[in-house]
Amino acid sequence: MAYMLTILEPHGQRAERTLEQGRDLYERMVAFGTDLHARGVLLAVEALKSDTEGRRLKVRDGRRTIVDGPFTEAREMIGGFFLIDVASRDEALAIAAECPAAHWATIEVRETGACYE
Amino acid sequence: MPANDTIHRRIEAVWRIEAPRLIASLTRMLRDLGLAEEMAQDALVAALETWPMQGMPDRPGAWLMTTAKRRAIDTLRRNALATRKVEQLGHETDLLQSDDTGMDPDDDIGDDLLRLVFTACHPVLPPDARVALTLRVLGGLSTPEIARAFLVPEATVAQRIVRAKRTLAEKQVPFEVPHGAELAPRLASVLEVVYLIFNEGYAATSGSDWMRPALCEQALRLGRVLVSLAPFEPEAHGLLALMELQASRFAARIDTHGEPVLLAEQDRARWDAARIRRGLAALAQAEKLGGAEGMYALQAALAACHARAAHYDVTDWPRIAALYARLANVVDSPVVELNRAVAVSMAQGPQAGLAMLDALNDEPRLAGYHLLPSVRGDLLQKLGRIDEARVAFEHAASLAGNQRERELLVRRATACVQHAS
Repeated sequence: MAYMLTILEPHGQRAERTLEQGRDLYERMVAFGTDLHARGVLLAVEALKSDTEGRRLKVRDGRRTIVDGPFTEAREMIGGFFLIDVASRDEALAIAAECPAAHWATIEVRETGACYE
Repeated sequence: MPANDTIHRRIEAVWRIEAPRLIASLTRMLRDLGLAEEMAQDALVAALETWPMQGMPDRPGAWLMTTAKRRAIDTLRRNALATRKVEQLGHETDLLQSDDTGMDPDDDIGDDLLRLVFTACHPVLPPDARVALTLRVLGGLSTPEIARAFLVPEATVAQRIVRAKRTLAEKQVPFEVPHGAELAPRLASVLEVVYLIFNEGYAATSGSDWMRPALCEQALRLGRVLVSLAPFEPEAHGLLALMELQASRFAARIDTHGEPVLLAEQDRARWDAARIRRGLAALAQAEKLGGAEGMYALQAALAACHARAAHYDVTDWPRIAALYARLANVVDSPVVELNRAVAVSMAQGPQAGLAMLDALNDEPRLAGYHLLPSVRGDLLQKLGRIDEARVAFEHAASLAGNQRERELLVRRATACVQHAS
């Protein structure tokens, strides 16, 4: 079963770090991803840049609206994700608990599947 | 406080995730897979005893590693005292140095895992022992779980594992990744084990026992381990592609009553599109690495023909027939020829398929194989040669080992009689 581990960071947290601190955390996350890959559970992983340059788009009644980032009204920002394939939610949780970001952000664990169910 | 069974379930999940690297690292330290596995098991027992009382540690993996290492040091110390092996005591000091965090920063978990895969799948072991040991040390499955998955008594599995560990120790199988001329046959042995595990799970059509589908999950994970650790081996990608594509049909293979559904009748909307995408990507990778003619890549290419067809009617049978011809070059199996005959009959008509079957009549390896007369009956029926079809179906029914298949064949034979009268 595939699970998505989404990293939810407190908005503005990245700005509080020095470049060096930021790089250090990033390297720990890369090492964690490499480890998951070697253990055969990783399907995909990406880190996301800050939402400053992000855009939110919607189409309503044929009209398109685009909102520019940062989306400061949201308390949290999606910082990245891991898509993993494991046998159970407990295994997904066990992996989420190992994620370095669990110590400074929140890891949301969700199973993939049809969105109407 | 979560209930005790919740904690146990969580511990089991941690174990499944952590066991392979725990055993891999310990084997490198102890130079003994059997002992490493015992120490890891001891650590699991300790976790089951203490975690429900004290709660889960922050880093369960590191906790298990530290515990296992302490046990290993105790054991080594006892052995060293008994045999006064100075060199072993020196080895012990190395172990202690990395003991404080449980994780050695110099550990390359990938290398250790790869060594573990090659050791557990060593050709010095019989295939069923390789499968059992691989599931045990790389899948974190318990002996009862393996026994349930393979429908054999627990004692049989336990014995296979004990013997396998003993054989590895006696033959002094080194904990290393083979290289040079040795690599290809050893890799083939690993891939074979992974595919055996997958097929054992895939062959189970009844969904009543979760252990058998879990075998497919295990095999897929092992397949991904191989691809990540040996990214330039086309057949590793080919095998992963084959397993993803086969697994994409899981949900469609069984109807609501638990009865198997044939490929032609499956609801293709229930095929797992994400698995198909991953399977096709892995197949493309195998081909890019020059492995298009590999045994697994060709089988994956066959599965891909079905995956790409939106309906059964638009299946590319000429391509399937051509792929079976290529597969026959690398796999010496009359079953491949039989499948090719079916594909040819779909592409060119039953007469062409029947001509190919005739060539297989004297094949000794197909003597007693019910699918040969069963396919023959099918083709004869399509050609309107009803009497001959009935004889073929009756023959096939007498050979079928599986009750459900036998009943189906008897029904088809009876239908021929009714048609004729």
